[in-house]
Amino acid sequence: MSEPERVPAAPPKRTTADDRLRRLLALIPWVASQDGPTVKEVCARFGCTERQLVADIELVFLCGVHPWTPDALIEAVVEDGRVWIRYADWFRRPLRLTPPEALALVARASALLAVPGTDPAGPLARGLAKLASVLGVAPGEAMDVELGPAEAGVLDIVRQGAAGHRQVKLDYYSFGRDSWSVRVVDPWRVFSEGGSWYVEGWCHQAADTRLFRVDRIRSASALGSTFTPPPAPTGSPTFSPRAEDPVVVLDLAPAAAWVATQYPNEGVEMEADGRTRVRLRISERAWLERLLLRLGPDAAVVEGPAALAGAGSMAATRLRRRYG
Amino acid sequence: MDRLERLLDLLAALLDAERPLSREDLRSRIPGYPPDDASARRAFERDKDSLRAMGIPIEMLPLVAGDADAQIGYRVRREAYELPDPRLTADEVAALHLAVSTVDVAGAPDSDAAAALWKLGGSSERLEPPPATAGLPGSQHLPVLFAAAVERRRVRFGYGGVDRELEPHRLSCAKGRWYVSGRDLTRGASRVFRVDRLEGVPEATSGPGAFDRPAGAGTGAPPAPWLLGDRVVAEASILVDPDQAAWAVAQVGDGGSVVENRPDGSVVLRLPVANVAALRSFVLGFLDHAEILGPPALRSELVAWLGQVA
Repeated sequence: MSEPERVPAAPPKRTTADDRLRRLLALIPWVASQDGPTVKEVCARFGCTERQLVADIELVFLCGVHPWTPDALIEAVVEDGRVWIRYADWFRRPLRLTPPEALALVARASALLAVPGTDPAGPLARGLAKLASVLGVAPGEAMDVELGPAEAGVLDIVRQGAAGHRQVKLDYYSFGRDSWSVRVVDPWRVFSEGGSWYVEGWCHQAADTRLFRVDRIRSASALGSTFTPPPAPTGSPTFSPRAEDPVVVLDLAPAAAWVATQYPNEGVEMEADGRTRVRLRISERAWLERLLLRLGPDAAVVEGPAALAGAGSMAATRLRRRYG
Repeated sequence: MDRLERLLDLLAALLDAERPLSREDLRSRIPGYPPDDASARRAFERDKDSLRAMGIPIEMLPLVAGDADAQIGYRVRREAYELPDPRLTADEVAALHLAVSTVDVAGAPDSDAAAALWKLGGSSERLEPPPATAGLPGSQHLPVLFAAAVERRRVRFGYGGVDRELEPHRLSCAKGRWYVSGRDLTRGASRVFRVDRLEGVPEATSGPGAFDRPAGAGTGAPPAPWLLGDRVVAEASILVDPDQAAWAVAQVGDGGSVVENRPDGSVVLRLPVANVAALRSFVLGFLDHAEILGPPALRSELVAWLGQVA
C-alpha cells in the first residue's frame, strides 16, 4: 500500500482532554471489535501518532468502574506493534453522531455524489444510504445538494486535463463581453463553488490566469500537449473590481435600490427624494448592458466614461430590432 | 490524576449505572475528585459540561420519583448513547473519507467531519482524490435545521421580520445557497426559506416525530424566479439563438420545457409565468440572443419596456 497522501483532518493542534476523549470513545470500540490491529493501522484510522496512541492506551488501561476489581477494569495493551483492548463493554459502541458531525458528513457525501461521473450505485452512495438509515431517514430524504449545471462531456474533458496535466481547447462564451472565442487552456483545477462549475487555469490567449465557467463552454477537446501546474492554484470566483476599471454612476429608483447591496461598489448615496446613487466599477460593457436592460425605467446613468456611453439604449435598440 | 482518565471513568460509571446516581455516589465511585466538597462539586460540574458538549446524553432525574425537590441523579442510557452499527464496508468508509477530503463546507470545522469518521471506525485506505473538488456554502444554523429535518421536530426562527414556526422537511443546497423547506405553520402553507436570511437562532419547539414528511417531495430548492407568484398568468414561448441554446436549457431546468429544437440549433422554450418581471429579467439576460415569441401581450410588454431603457 502506498503512503497516505493526506492524514484525516485533525482537530486543532492543541489537543485538549476533550478532543482526546472524542477520539478515544471512537477508538476503544473499534480496537475492541478487532483481533489486535497493528499500531500503524490504528494511527492511520484515527489520525494520531504512535506516541499519542501509546499514551492513550496506557490511560485506558487504568479505567473502569467501582469496585475496581479486575473484572471491572478495561484491559488495554500495546505489544509487538499491535493493540489490544478487552473488557471495555461500557464502550462497546461509539457515541451517536452529533448534529454538526452528521451534517458535516452527509453534506460532504451528498456533494461528492452530485459530482457528475460519481457512480450513483457505488460505495459512496451505499455508504451514504447506510448513514441516512442510522439517522432514521431514507437516502436523500432530508437533504439534497446540487453543484451546478455542467455538460458531462465537457466536464470530463477538463477534469481529465486537470488530472493528467494535458492542455485543452475550449470554445468559450465570455458573459462580460458577449462573445465566443476558442482558447488553449492549461486546466489546473476543476471545482464547483457557489452553485457553478469552474475551470481555473492558464489561458494562452489572454496570457494570464483565468476562471472559466463550465456551463459557458460550448465544446472542449483534449490536446496532446502537457503542462506543469503551479503548486497550489487558489482562484476564487468572487468578482473583485480592478482599480483600472471605469466608474459608472447610476441613479436608481427605490425599486432598483437592491443594486447597491447586490454588487460590490465604490459608494452609495441616498438622495432626499428616496432615490439612490451608486458608483460601480464596470469591467465589461455587456455586463452594464444587461443591468440597464433589466432595470429599465428604474435606472439612469448620470456619469461614466465615453466608451460606455449609451450602453443601455444601444442594447435596447439592438434588441428591439428582433421585435420588428 | 489525569482529567481525561477521570472523564472516562465518569462516563463508564454513568453508562454502567442501572439507576440514576447522585453526585456524591459518583464522587465516591470515581477517584480523582478533589477532597473538599466545593472543589469537587466544581470539578464535577465541569466534567458534566464537557461530556454534554460532546453530545453525550446525560439524563438528570430526581432520585425520588415524582418528587421534584429530591436530589438529582445522573445516568446515561445506552440506547441514547450508542451509535447503531451502520455496517459499512471498508470501501464505503473509504468513499466517505474521500468526500470529507474533497468537499469543503464553508465555516464548518474539519474536526466535526473527522470525529464523525472516527465513529465509523476511520479508514486506513486512501483513495486517489478525484480531479474535481466542491465547496459548499456554510451556515451555523445548518446542524440544528438538519437535525430537526431528520428527527421531524418543529423549529422556530425569524424571517422577514416575522416569527415563523416550521415543520422542516428538508435542507437543499442549490445555486450556491442553502434553503430549508417545509410547512410554515405561521402561514399555513409550504414555504422555502434562505438559510442565510434566518433571523436569530433557530430552535426546536417540539420533540422528535412531530410531523410526517410528505413522500416524494423532491428537491426543496426554490422554483425558478418566473414561477414565484400567486398564479400562472401566461405560458411564454421564448426563442433562444443557437449559441446560447444549451445554456438556456440548463438555466431553465425544471422551470419550463423545450418545445422545439430548430434545425439551426436554436430552441423554443415554454415557461409558465407567474412573475412577469422575473421572466423579463431572464430573457434580457440573453441580450439580443433571445426573443419572446408569445403570447402577444408579453411580447408587447417587453417592447414597451425596452423603450424606457435609458
